[in-house]
Amino acid sequence: MTALAGRIRSIPSWQITLGLALLALGFLIAAQMAAEGPRVQYTSQERTPLVATVLDLQKQQDALKKQVLDARAAIASLEAAGQGGAAVTKQLSDQLQNAQIAAGLVPMSGPGLVIQLSDSTLQVPADGNAQDYLVSGADVLTVVDQLWAAGAEGVAINGERVVVSTAVVDIGGSVVVNGAYVAAPYQVTAIGPKTMFDTLTHQPGFADFIRSRGEAFGIGVQYATPDVGVDLPAYAGSMNLRYGRPTATPSTSAAP
Amino acid sequence: MGRGRGPLAVGLVLAILGFLVVVQARSQAQDQGLAQLSVQDLTELVANVTTRNNQLREEVATLAQQQQQVQSAAQRGDTSTSQIRTDLEHVLAWSGVLGVTGQGVQVTVNGALPASAVGQLVNELRNAGAEAIALNGVRVVPGVVVSGDPGSLTISGKPLIGTTGTLVLVAVGQPETLAGSLSRAGGLVAQLAAQYPSVSVRVDPQDLLQVPATDRSLTPVLGRPRL
Repeated sequence: MTALAGRIRSIPSWQITLGLALLALGFLIAAQMAAEGPRVQYTSQERTPLVATVLDLQKQQDALKKQVLDARAAIASLEAAGQGGAAVTKQLSDQLQNAQIAAGLVPMSGPGLVIQLSDSTLQVPADGNAQDYLVSGADVLTVVDQLWAAGAEGVAINGERVVVSTAVVDIGGSVVVNGAYVAAPYQVTAIGPKTMFDTLTHQPGFADFIRSRGEAFGIGVQYATPDVGVDLPAYAGSMNLRYGRPTATPSTSAAP
Repeated sequence: MGRGRGPLAVGLVLAILGFLVVVQARSQAQDQGLAQLSVQDLTELVANVTTRNNQLREEVATLAQQQQQVQSAAQRGDTSTSQIRTDLEHVLAWSGVLGVTGQGVQVTVNGALPASAVGQLVNELRNAGAEAIALNGVRVVPGVVVSGDPGSLTISGKPLIGTTGTLVLVAVGQPETLAGSLSRAGGLVAQLAAQYPSVSVRVDPQDLLQVPATDRSLTPVLGRPRL
């Protein structure tokens, strides 16, 4: 230590200045190279238009989702108000509204919690797989399932409501939910009982997840239980029944 | 080391160090944006989002038509309830409150698969456009979760697989699309076969399948709609 200190003291000040200047130069060169193009491994010219296309498509999707929600709301209010107030009509449109609420087609607010999953900040070892250090679709699905098991009555992933048709798919290091690209960090929001957090953290499946992903690879898992409760968006996608039709005889417990 | 070269060497080392620090910092910050995706991934993403957008366009068109019908019925003073009944039936069947009948695929699993693999099968079928899914006669709706150890899986707390040891998954949808998504080269069935050699997974297109209604209540108790 003292030998090193002695050496540093013996370096003339101009040498330190030069050293600092070269250091700064090093930073500048690196910053410049990084700014000149996207990541070294993907310098293909096809990339830029593709990224622009994805962003553009996503923007279109947001607008389409809004149109779907607006149209559904308009139809609902027409059906509720415009039909002469016949008792049977009123009853039917109430049933329809309840069915839409149960199906996830209506935004909801209620008590609940948010779990945020974020990519690992650990250094990927030389013999490691970089994908293991990113939040995967399977991770998101595990957390959603664990929340259902803990008593959640509604779940959303970033802006996408989890409904009967929801698939969570990995594409490279990104996750697609309901056909929409969602970016990390992933916020899984659930409406559920006050005991949900306790139940969740005592489930063996959740403990496994924390061990195998959080502890082993440094996947970040954070919780929040906002006092004001949480909000879930409405599902704004299509409800395809092209190959299937409703079974003719509804069971007596069918209508909510 | 000569007297004149000393500072230069130190400077050079520092410069390289600076360079490395920046490069390192950038590769550490695993930028989760689109910037990290390869051309192939981006292409797949474009295809995925385009499919959804097309579905949304169809939905917008259907809803516009529906809105017009309801509107003109209201203007005529027509109290016909058939449109509402149709909508209601559609929502109930799609969401799982009513049963669904139609063509699709049957997936037969013999052997002990872990719960996560069953979840993957369901997820893959949904991604391929399945309209209704059941596992050994239990309709899969939000909140229905397969858990437990391989060989003694449960579905929403009840045993999933009976004494036969067979898991039958049925999905209504376009049979070729559903079967193709599972059975394609490198697809989920191939992955499962490689991972669990003792398990057999068969995928059969079917002309007529019955997917039952759920026995769960989907009506929220704690949440309030934001209308």
